[in-house]
Amino acid sequence: MLELALLVLACGAATYVWRGLAVPLSGRVRADSAAFTWIGCVAYAMVASLIARMLLLPGGALAATLLPERLLACAVALALYHAGRRNLLLGMLAGFGVIVLSGWLRGGGL
Amino acid sequence: MNSASSRRAAFWSGARVSAGAPSIVLAAGYLGFAALAKAGEFPLWAALISVTTVWSLPGQLVMLELWLAGTAPLIIVIAVALTAMRFLPMTVSFLPLVREPRHRAAQLYFAAHMLVMTNWAPCMRSVPELPIGQRMPYFLGFAITNWVACVAATLAGYFLVDSFPPLVNRGLVLITPLYFVLILSAEYRNRLAFASILCGAVAGPLLYAVTPQWSILLAGAGGGTAAYFLFRPRHA
Repeated sequence: MLELALLVLACGAATYVWRGLAVPLSGRVRADSAAFTWIGCVAYAMVASLIARMLLLPGGALAATLLPERLLACAVALALYHAGRRNLLLGMLAGFGVIVLSGWLRGGGL
Repeated sequence: MNSASSRRAAFWSGARVSAGAPSIVLAAGYLGFAALAKAGEFPLWAALISVTTVWSLPGQLVMLELWLAGTAPLIIVIAVALTAMRFLPMTVSFLPLVREPRHRAAQLYFAAHMLVMTNWAPCMRSVPELPIGQRMPYFLGFAITNWVACVAATLAGYFLVDSFPPLVNRGLVLITPLYFVLILSAEYRNRLAFASILCGAVAGPLLYAVTPQWSILLAGAGGGTAAYFLFRPRHA
């Protein structure tokens, strides 16, 4: 328990380092420099790698769903999100609905 | 209107805008995060501390997923630090907009802590339209409302997940990855960002098959760097 508390606080500190560093740096460095561009690339790639892994090789509770169900949920969510003027809530609700509905059709009943 | 009351009005005006779509969407992501945490037996107190101290859904998700996979703490912290690097350019670009000479350092460091992608994007657009004195309170009203909504959503997700039928729970744990799929898909016009996303998405699962513990770090650093060198804008 102590170990987990320390882990969470260390993750908080590791995040805050970058936010805090921005205070002395702001107004002195350009936000569109090469280094910052690279940082953005790494952040995008990391989040994308985690999400792709969660969807393709899920662990825990997501493992109860099938790969075609997850892909269908993403496809429907993406379609409605982009059709609905980038309404995030609409897309998320649609994907949620697809997973619940397909599980219901597959397993019979809630 | 004197300046104290106009600042108070600006705070509540930011809170009102935030209480609509921005906080609802972010809270939906945290509802899913709490459902994932509960399903993985990650304790509620640790989830709530992470909402307040990490205060970044991607970072918290990386922390949770790696913890569930039994990853060494040092690797978890390094991975979280790497996902958080993007806060440096975001915050550097935002702070000059709200900064006033009368601000104490503590106020700026607090504002830097409250900045996340969800309030950065709308506030970068709306804050410059306000008079200088109202900008910081508007932003704080916006960001603190985000935080309150996310704490409430984390509590709700954690307590509700077991009272729902299993099928609804499956939907809840899918919410967080869906949220990021949608947000990331909106970057399709930005060639460099989209290339980074594709490189990471392909490298992540492949590397996971080889080394689950290091896959996120390697896919992020490797995929992001590859995309950067292949697609970076060339300056003449």
